[in-house]
This record gives sequence, C-alpha cells and structure tokens, in this order.
Amino acid sequence: MIVEGTFTFAGPREAVWDLLQNPDVLVKALPGAKRLVRSGEDRYEGVMRVGVGPVTAAEFAVAVAVRDKVPPQRYALDVDSKGAVGFTRGTARVELEALADGRTRLKYTAELQVGGKIAGLGQRLLDQVAKLMTRQGLEALNQELRTRLARGSAG
Amino acid sequence: MTGPRRYVGERVRRNEDARLLTGRALFVDDVRLEGMLHVAFLRSQHAHARVKGVDVAAARRRPGVVAVYTAGDLGDFWRPGPLLVPPPPIPGLLFNSCTQVPLAKDKVRHAGEPLAMVVAESRYVAEDALEDMTVDVEPLPVVVDLEAALAPGAPLVHEHLPSNVAAHVVQRKGDYERARSGAHAVIKRRLRYDRGAAAAIENRAVVAQWDPRAEELTVWDTTQAPIPIRNGLAGLLGLLESQVRVVAPFVGGGFGPKIMMFYPEELLVPWAAMRLGRPVKWSEDRQENFYATTQERGQIHDAEIALARDGRILGVRDRFLHDAGAYDPYGLTVPINSQCTLLGPYDIANYDSEFTAVFTNKTIVTPVRGAGRQHGVFVIERLLDYAARQLGLDRVEIRRRNLLRPEQFPHNHEILFQDSAPLVYDSGNYEPALDEALRIVDYERFVREEQPRLRAAGRHVGIGVVCYVEGTGIGPYEGARVTVEPSGRVRVATGVGTQGQGHFTVFAQIVADVLGVDVEQVHVITGDTREFHWGTGTFASRGAVVAGSACHAAAVAVREKILDLASHLLEAPKHDLELADGSVGVRGAPDSAVGLGEIARRANPLRGAVRPGTEPGLEATAYFGPERGSTANGVHAAIVEVDPETALVEVTRYVVVHDSGRVLNPLLVDGQIHGGVAHGIGNAFYEQLVYDENGQLLNASFMDYLLPTATDVPPVETAHSETPSPLNPLGVKGVGEAGAIPAGAAFAQAVEDALAGSGLEITEIPLSPNRLFELIAQAGGKRA
Amino acid sequence: MPVNQQLPVDLTVNGVRHHRTVEPRLLLSDFLRHELGLTGTHVGCEHGVCGACTVLLDGEAVRSCLMFAIQTDGHEITTVEGLAPDGAGGALHPLQAAFREAHALQCGFCTPGVLMTLVPFLRDHPAPGEREIREALSGNLCRCTGYQNIVAAVRLACDRSPSLRR
Repeated sequence: MIVEGTFTFAGPREAVWDLLQNPDVLVKALPGAKRLVRSGEDRYEGVMRVGVGPVTAAEFAVAVAVRDKVPPQRYALDVDSKGAVGFTRGTARVELEALADGRTRLKYTAELQVGGKIAGLGQRLLDQVAKLMTRQGLEALNQELRTRLARGSAG
Repeated sequence: MTGPRRYVGERVRRNEDARLLTGRALFVDDVRLEGMLHVAFLRSQHAHARVKGVDVAAARRRPGVVAVYTAGDLGDFWRPGPLLVPPPPIPGLLFNSCTQVPLAKDKVRHAGEPLAMVVAESRYVAEDALEDMTVDVEPLPVVVDLEAALAPGAPLVHEHLPSNVAAHVVQRKGDYERARSGAHAVIKRRLRYDRGAAAAIENRAVVAQWDPRAEELTVWDTTQAPIPIRNGLAGLLGLLESQVRVVAPFVGGGFGPKIMMFYPEELLVPWAAMRLGRPVKWSEDRQENFYATTQERGQIHDAEIALARDGRILGVRDRFLHDAGAYDPYGLTVPINSQCTLLGPYDIANYDSEFTAVFTNKTIVTPVRGAGRQHGVFVIERLLDYAARQLGLDRVEIRRRNLLRPEQFPHNHEILFQDSAPLVYDSGNYEPALDEALRIVDYERFVREEQPRLRAAGRHVGIGVVCYVEGTGIGPYEGARVTVEPSGRVRVATGVGTQGQGHFTVFAQIVADVLGVDVEQVHVITGDTREFHWGTGTFASRGAVVAGSACHAAAVAVREKILDLASHLLEAPKHDLELADGSVGVRGAPDSAVGLGEIARRANPLRGAVRPGTEPGLEATAYFGPERGSTANGVHAAIVEVDPETALVEVTRYVVVHDSGRVLNPLLVDGQIHGGVAHGIGNAFYEQLVYDENGQLLNASFMDYLLPTATDVPPVETAHSETPSPLNPLGVKGVGEAGAIPAGAAFAQAVEDALAGSGLEITEIPLSPNRLFELIAQAGGKRA
Repeated sequence: MPVNQQLPVDLTVNGVRHHRTVEPRLLLSDFLRHELGLTGTHVGCEHGVCGACTVLLDGEAVRSCLMFAIQTDGHEITTVEGLAPDGAGGALHPLQAAFREAHALQCGFCTPGVLMTLVPFLRDHPAPGEREIREALSGNLCRCTGYQNIVAAVRLACDRSPSLRR
C-alpha cells in the first residue's frame, strides 16, 4: 500500500530536520510508540503498539534504517516491523521544503507491504489508520517544534 | 420383486430434523471430555519465506500451556502427506507431486501454513501463547499470478523442481486442426474464473482421545471421509485400523474442503492426544479457515471454438492454466473436471484440451462444490454466446442444434474423466430439459415482448440460458449394513458421512420401501467407522447413487432372509408372501402377518440347533461399485435487471430444470439445487478471494468476503426431468453440485444481455459490483 | 485488570439461574457452549457477521460472539434449547415444526441462530411479507439452503400459529 501526503511545520527546515532525527522526540510524538532508541549509526529500534479495526492493539518490534540523507532536504527510511498480528515492511521518502514565510513543508511517500492478520482483517481501514497515525505524529511533532522555538532552543 | 413403493419419490420430511432444530445434535466442537486440552496454531504471516527458526521457549513457560511443538519435535511423525488422488493414466501426463507437511520446517509456501502447535488448558491461553512466540524468517519473492509463475526466472515454490509447473496434461479427440480449417467461423476468447472459498458455516474441528487401557483412539472430525482418515491415522500412528474410531457426527456443511484429507491439524491433534495422554481439541476459527482450509478455483482459459455456418460445433480447442496453490495433494481432479465438463451436453467431435497446473504461494486448491466443472461450463457457454452473436443466431437455437440426441447414448467422449475411466455419458435426454426451462421462464414472451417493452422504458433487463452436464455418482464403491432388530426397528449403517444432504432420511426411504416398514422406524447411522468401516466418503455428488444403492442391495438381501424364514414359519411359498406395515404375511390373509421383530427374534435363537448355512438374525451387508459415473444434466435460465449507474444486479427470476435420474426425495433434491444456486450466485457476483502481489489475503473475514444473504438470492423455480441411469438399480444420478455449476455462465450471459449494445463482454468471474462498474465504464457506457 | 482474574456472573438461561465466576474476556458464546454445556448455539465466525451465535438477551436478539459473559450479569438469556424444553423427543416450537415441514434446514448449523433471530422478529411483526422476512434474515448466513425454504417455513408458521404473532 502507498501512504503519501504533505504537512506544513511552523518553523524553519533545519529545526524540523533535527526533530525528525531525534528518537526521544519521535517516541513521544508517534501514536503507539512505546520505545525508540538509536541502535547504531542511522539505525533505530523500538516497540510500537498498534491496532487496526477489528484487530486489537498489539505490540510490534520495529527496526528503522535511515539512508540517502541530504540534510536538511531529504532522506529515506527503511522500516521493518513485526508482531503477532502481522508485519509491515517498506520504504518511506521524506522531503523538506523551506517556505518563504519561514515554515517548512514536509512531503512523504511510503510504499509498504503489509502481512498477517492486519492485512487479512483490517484492509479497509489500513489506509485510514496509516494516515491518522501519520497526521497525529506530525501534529505532535509540530507542537513540540513550537514549544522549542518558543523556549528558544530549537535543535 | 420389491414391495409397494411408499417413500421413494415422495417429499418425505427428514428424520434428523428434530435433533438439529432443538440444538441437541452433536457437532465436533460440542464434544466435551474430562481433562480436554485445547490447541492453537502459529501460522505463517508470509506467503513465501525461508524459516530460520521458531522460538517457543517463552510460550512453553506460560502458565496453562502444556506443550508446544515445532517441526523438529515431531521426529519420525514429520513427513509430507499422502498423494490422495493419483492422476488418471492419461498418455503423456506430467505430474509433480508436492504435498503439505504437518508443520513447516525450512520453508513456508503460503500465508497461514502452520509453524507450531500449542496445547493448553484453554483456547484463550493457547492463543495468548502464540503471542509469546517469535519466528525468524527470510522473506522470499512471491508468486501469485499464474502467468508470472511460469515466466523464466520466476521464484520457485518448490525448489527441487525446474519450474512452478505442477502438471501438464493434454487430452484430444478427433482432429481439431482439420475441423478448424473447414470452419465457417472461429471464435476465440480469454476467460478467467477466480478463487472462492467454500465457507461452510461450521469451520473445521478435530477432537482426539487415546484410551490407554482399551488401547483405542477415538477421533471426532468434521471430515467428509471418516474411513480413509481412520485408516491413514492408524498407519501413521502405528495402530491397527480397528484400534482407531473416527466419527464424523453432524457436520455443518462440507462442500468439498472437508474431503481434503490429512490436513496438518487432522494428524497433529491425534498425535498430541496420544503423547500427552489427555483428550485434545482444535477448533478452527473463521480467519484460519480462509488460510488453512482448501479453496478453489483460479483458472485462465484461452479457448476457441470452430463452427459451421449453421452454428454446429466442429471443434473446440482450449489451453488453460490452473492455480494449484502451494501443494497438490488432491492430484488433478479439479482441472480434469474442467477439461471434461467443457464438452457439456453437446456433440463435439474434435477436441483439443491442454492445461498446465501451476504452483503458487496461495492456499492449496482442492474441490469445492463443482470441483472444476464450472470452469468448463463457463468456457463453452460463453463461446457459444459469442458464436451466436457472430452468426446471428438466437442463443437457445445454437445450443439446441448442438445437443446430443437421445439415440447417441451411452456417449463416449473418449477422453479420461477424474475416475480414470473414459468419459462416457450413461443416459440423457437433453432437448426436453431445455424446452421445459424455456417454457417455465416464458422465454419467447420475454424476448419478443417483455424485454423490448422494458428496454423502451429505459430499463436494462436481460436473460441467460445455459446448459450443462454434471458427472456424478463415481466409484469406487460404498457399502451398507441393514439390520432388523427384535423391536421391529431397522438399523442402517453406511460409511459415508453426512453434511446436510439428508442421508438419514433418503437412505431410510430406500430401505423402508424394500422392507415395507415405516420410514421413521429406520434408524440410519453415517460417518462412524465403528459402525461401518469400508468406503471412501461423501464427494462428487455420489452419496445417494453409491451409498444409496448399497443400502438398497443390503435391504434386498435382508428381505430375502425374511422371506426364507417367513416361508418356513407360515408354511407358504415365498411368492405368496408380502411385506407391509412392518410385518410379513400371506397375501390376502391379513391374520397371518407376523411382525418383522418377531422374525428377527426367531432368527436368533438362544438355544436349540439351526439349519446349516444360515446366518443369525435379519442382517446383511452389501457393497455397490458402479462401472463408472453417471451423468446428470440440466438447464439454468436467469432474468436480471442491471442498474448501469451503480452496477447493481438484481436477479428477478431463476429457473433450474435438472435431470438427476430417478428422484428419491423431491424436497431434498430441490434443497440441493436452491443451495447450489445460492453458492453459484455468490461465486458469480459477490465472492472473491483477493490476494495482493505478496500472497497476502486481503479479505479474510465475512466482513470483506461477501456471502450472499437472504436478500441476495432469488427464489429458485425448479423442475425435474427423470432420465434414469442404467448404471445402478435405483436409476439415480447425483445432484449436489448442480445448482452451483452453471450459475456463473448464466449470470454473465444475462448481464451482458441486459447491457446489450454497450459492447460489454463478461469473460471473467467473479464479477463484483465494483468490477462490473469498471467494465461498463470501459465499454463506453451507454446502451444503444 | 490481569486476564486471569475471575469475576462473578449471575444470570438466568432458559429459565434456570446460574452463578459462575469467569474471566472477563470469556465470550458469551463460549460460556453458553462450554461452561453451561448448551451447545445448541453455534459459532461460525466470531466477528458478528454470520449470526449463527444469535441468542436472546432479555427477549431481544444479540450475537453472543460479540458479548462477554460478564455483560449478562443480572440478565435473562434464551437459547435454542429454550424453544423446545423437552428436547428432540418432545413437542417442537411451532417455528421449529414449520422448519421441518418446509425443509428449511440442511446441515442445521446456522439453524439455531436463524430461529433465535426469527422469534423476536415474529413477535414484533405479525404476518410479514416475503421482502420483510428476507430482510430480517439478512443478518444470518446460510450456505446450504439458499434461504428459500426458510422463508417458506416462516410463512407456514405464521399461517398456522397466531400465537407467533403475539
């Protein structure tokens, strides 16, 4: 499945970039994220708790590798998550565009393979759940960005 | 020779209904045994992957978990399952046998393949334990599309084979090339028929109990084939066949997948019960059923038909691909049925049929109601429709001109059928069935008056008329034992199982008529190997034909014993005696009548001497094995209305004329047809198993796999012709699958007719509203 | 709450009071079938679509696979066994008799759910027409009968038994 969209952050590109690379911020922002730590150079691992429709929320072990980094413009993420109720695997590409008014537009495209119970039972809802989780995460990040900028410690 | 007929041919109400209606009938999941443990299976999430390890340590430690097994724990018990149906001896046949294993070891080949088994105090705890397990897999590229699976360089489902070809079969008769060269018209099309699930409302279940003192294993199983299961389990577990009892009690719908045998769960549950010394139960849940229970029916046909100017078929050539799924334990039954059933009720002298069965990373394919016949019918009926259009002939006329005539029976098509015998139609009278269907649906009036009138009013109505044959009643054999007890009640035991077909009634009718007893006094037992242990099972529309004939033969033998004894007792010659009302007496002398129970008592003395050569009691066992299957036939006619904006289709009339030879119980036969048509409509319009390119099933629940409901199935008008079969004493043919077989073809023809002028061609089944919508849009929309 | 904690549930089933302690996550369908041994209620899908598990909760049709046993505390359940209290050998409920007469069941697995759906429907809808009957049945899946004889059975029962319409 393909998940894509755009989102406008209320701050400059460099600040957004730094936030996106910060696992402590991400774990608080991403819905269902319970743990996210750096496990190596450009590698992260963690645990997320996700439910899709009739499939009750269950834990997924997540491994993420970041590559093709061109700071502060773009990067790619290879995601591999597995749990008792299914797995997802795929790649997301993120692009940051500096806007004239000091804000940043983020564009994302993710191509994900979904398998297991969530694929069999949650199909109709997968798109919505993915979009919802992404939007909630980005909004939480945006809120964190605003807080940091107000405090004067963006980065 | 046989007594006055009272029951056969009548709408006798069912003996078994009271138990089912009051919730007192035993289904496998109802079995409750002291100390029973419960099973859950860890199933592969990937459609194709190398298995590097399954870590079950944490699961083993969970309180309430008694054992966890992976492939390595099975020792010698781990082995690929048997090839259930070796392919028929067709010259030049290529067949690669690759059967399923109890638990995946190095590789998984379809999503849902079992990797580990948990045995715990409750199913809830067992499922909890599944979450304690982790599987280390290396995903492999997946093959899902049939043509891609055959392309060079495609990932191999079975790596010891050079390709994903499971089988290659060619059957020919006559000379198609020559026929084609002399043809006035040649019509070619690519036709697709896709997978559907049987979706019986009862999922599979197995309960096993080993009694170490009696040294007996009892297994309750939702199988359609209890006797082969019993024999197979005995062999695999090192027991005598007589130490194993398999009971298929009431079964909530079979439809084919429950005759797939030696499913992993069917082997592992008895094995675990013996090992653990406690009864073990596994009940499949609905989601598992979508992955773990077999399905049918993906095929892609490139077919062509060569015709003379008057519409007579000169020959047919068909090349098709058949989706076998990840393993092929059931041999080639399904595609050979497709190959044979394509010939239909028509006189086709030249036929060239070739198929390639292909391994894919999907659930195993075995027969599901129709067992491949629908594909053959779909192909020939669609080709005839397009031929009719091209030649300017009416759809009924082109069929009529090609039907086999009564003097052409028995008709030998020369190719081999699934029972390894040449495809010979035993009897049939096809044209009257067609005429009857046309009369009931009022074809002429619809086409000449009603349709033009409705069309002028802007409505899109259409009619479909299709003809089909159904090979039924194949061997090898079944058996039955009939016993008259001292109470006068009669007991019948036979080896087939029952999944709703009414065996408890129809076999009772047969026996009741022979013995002159009340049908409610005949107690039928099916599906219990302790009662009867010779036979094969309920499949291919053969129960009434084969087991019914065996019941008849056994009853006739008992009747002879009654007459022998009564002749002595009443001092009258046998030809003066008659059986009626549960007694035997001298004809014309009602006071002479003696109850059959009394005869039975006398036939089993506790003291004294018996004449040499007699057998005690009034009991006989008989077997029946037909020389070959008998061919039933019929016609379906459907009228539909389509809303071209929403692509919703309403079936306003559905007519079935079916000839299944002698009708034993019209109530039951109609029921089979109603149910078959509903299933056929489901396959045609609502049901589709959607696999993505990674072999993931995307609609593994009833929320997204749509079974037709009461508002989707029209009332079916049925009529019967009876052309008796010469192959069995009752003259019967089967009917179980008849309703389902041509529904797709009828539906496609009717919808195309409703949208005539749009240029729309329906060459695929199923046809969901979405898909129909797309096709309408592609065809450019508006009707002329 | 830990999953293996037990809670009390006090309910009446087919007129008989039962008191048990069960896990909160125990489904009502499993409770009826395995705890109380009332196996007439069948499970076909566990996700509330097929209707085979239908029972009456205080007289209204509910899907027992979508409820937890503890939700029935203090309530009354009627299962198919409650329609003919003397079992297969006793008198059948008029609807059951009509089903037999009209051959409205084949394998019988969906039948208890269909009966329990129809009982409150017929109580509330006297003399329903074909369309209404089919709509009432649209939440019960049957793979054997094609529904036709079930509809016929309902009409037969209505014609014969004014008491059903009460």
